[in-house]
Amino acid sequence: MKAGGLSITLVESPDIKIIGVGEGTWPTMRQSLERMGVSETDLFKHCDAAFKQGGKFAGWTTGAPDDSYYHPLMLPNGFAQVNLVPHWLRRSNGQSFCDFVTAQGRICDDGLAPKLITTPEYKPVANYSYHLDAGKFAPFLAQHCTQKLGVRHVLADITQVNQTESGDIRSVLTKQSGEVPGDLFIDCSGFSALLIGKTLGVGFKDCGDVLFCDTALASQVPYNTPDDPMPSQTIATAQDAGWIWDICLPTRRGVGYVYSSRHTSEDAARQTLRKYIGSDVPARKIPIRSGHREIFWKNNCVAAGLAGGFLEPLESSSIVLVELSAKLLAEQLPANRDIMDIIAKRFNDVTMYRWGRIIDFLKLHYVLTRRTDSAFWRDNVDPATIPDRLKELLALWKFHPPWFFDEFDRLEEVFPAASYQYVLYGMGFESESGPEDVLDTELQATRARQEIERQTAELRSRLPTNRDLLNKIREYGLQPV
Amino acid sequence: MTQIVPLNKETYRHLKVDSRAAAAFDSRRFVQVIVKEFPLLLVHYPILFSKDPQTGQFFCGAMLGFDENENLFLEDWQKRDFYRPLYLQRGPFYGNGPELAIDLDDPRVGADSGKPLFNEQGAPTRYLQSIIWAFQDLTAGTEMTKLFIARMLELKLIEPVDVEVEFDDGSMRRCVGLYTIDQDVLSRLPDTVVVELFRRGYMRLIDYMIASLKQVPVMARKKNLRLLKETEGLASAVG
Repeated sequence: MKAGGLSITLVESPDIKIIGVGEGTWPTMRQSLERMGVSETDLFKHCDAAFKQGGKFAGWTTGAPDDSYYHPLMLPNGFAQVNLVPHWLRRSNGQSFCDFVTAQGRICDDGLAPKLITTPEYKPVANYSYHLDAGKFAPFLAQHCTQKLGVRHVLADITQVNQTESGDIRSVLTKQSGEVPGDLFIDCSGFSALLIGKTLGVGFKDCGDVLFCDTALASQVPYNTPDDPMPSQTIATAQDAGWIWDICLPTRRGVGYVYSSRHTSEDAARQTLRKYIGSDVPARKIPIRSGHREIFWKNNCVAAGLAGGFLEPLESSSIVLVELSAKLLAEQLPANRDIMDIIAKRFNDVTMYRWGRIIDFLKLHYVLTRRTDSAFWRDNVDPATIPDRLKELLALWKFHPPWFFDEFDRLEEVFPAASYQYVLYGMGFESESGPEDVLDTELQATRARQEIERQTAELRSRLPTNRDLLNKIREYGLQPV
Repeated sequence: MTQIVPLNKETYRHLKVDSRAAAAFDSRRFVQVIVKEFPLLLVHYPILFSKDPQTGQFFCGAMLGFDENENLFLEDWQKRDFYRPLYLQRGPFYGNGPELAIDLDDPRVGADSGKPLFNEQGAPTRYLQSIIWAFQDLTAGTEMTKLFIARMLELKLIEPVDVEVEFDDGSMRRCVGLYTIDQDVLSRLPDTVVVELFRRGYMRLIDYMIASLKQVPVMARKKNLRLLKETEGLASAVG
């Protein structure tokens, strides 16, 4: 980037392939791409991208055939005015929490898109993010950054890291392009953590004792016909020793089994995946080491992406952290080396907080299970595996359902209180509620409920199917306004 | 039903077409137009951008009413010499490459009444000639309009506009899905771009579009009178 005399160089190994599992994103991706000046139409055309309107979790609570719930991307209606949880607790009439508070679950059930062909780029009718082909997304972004934003792209392997006496990184030596110096280094070297780990010796905090899944089998499944219906929700189906993701891109599905190798064997896992897909599709094995660096910014080096850490791909948290870190870094880029440590400290505080909250939130999906049919699920509710903060919150939520001012005090909370509501009450968490909890907000709640039903009917009549809209976008494009 | 056939003077020598504006065909609140029509439209109708609901692509149109299927200018077209946009003037005719085609099932087409298409000698009448010219204009004009829109989009000169009108009977109309020229962006265009737009004739089109917005309150008054008449009629009926 040339603005303000800043120059950015990306050193990328020509040989190391990208992991390419992350195919789900958060709605933050819309802002990130828009801010970078990427055309959304180009994203759809070049990255095999599709809409994502949330997650559907099947079999997580009881494992029964009809056991499923949604974590949609739309906030409950009137979220800032009224907490609908007590109202739902008292008069759900058998309606799911999701359907009680938003239209989005029913839109997903109907296979509808979150917007119209006339809706401008990046603007939603219903909140959305993307499913995309990570293998196409990376070169797409690289091209945008080099051609439009002036980033220098050096295809070379790093052979040596040169440090100053203080331990700062002075330069990296590459096999193909010589020495590349810099003032600030962002470690994007993936699992190898070449700079932050190997060079600067920052340790890794393993959290496999909380989140058990440590292996993924990833496969790509073709459609039977090009017009097969395409759900716009990530479907996560619980299995004996983990869960299977199922993501629909326009040209294929991405399906994979994330499991705990302590609870099943690779053979059994492959068998489970085959059974889910219904045919024998090759699956690539990817190790997952759940955890993160002890700090993320040391000296003049910031860890991003897998170099900073990794968790199982539940809730697409990995790419969000890359986005949030990049944003934080861009907004607080140190003016000089002297103040860098102050900013680094703040960056570390915020990023550590975020990792903690993500781990809590992912664990929440497991601790609420009532499944006892396999050791994986039984072990997951063992109190010794539940972080203290989450334990406290669970105790609190029994009497105070989460809402947006309660505990979520950070400006950019990775998962808003609404997300906790969707998971908690999607999984049948029991909060006590008395008549006094709803008395003052009857009017707002009634209004919100009427609005939800009106919206649901309107969206159902106006929105095209997910597949149809994607086809149209590829043919005509979306307009910038 | 439609039965669209290429028009030729042998088979259809005695065909006549009712060319008058009629509620059955002209009742619409927004009609597509081409840039060449802008100077003629400007004196009566707001000229705006809108999007094709099927493709999302922008097109230019003239606003004729506030409610669905409402054309406040129908009477003016029938009784006065108000300009009627080409897309409606074309009546039952269709373009067929460079040739003209006609829908024989269109109720405006017949042998008994209306304007003849060919004279005794088999030459096109003035009416048919005007249709031929209209299609020549439409074919070339649609492309020119697309180029104009593309340039406006490139320069980020298109912005959404909510046309909101309140009437004396207390009712309100809010027309959505309409777009106009962003005058802030326009005023900040670099000189070189201003000159380019001027030389291409786009600056005039931009000015026409901006000026035509003044027709919205004029249309609103027209609609207001209509609503008042309806209310009075209702009152006298009740009284």
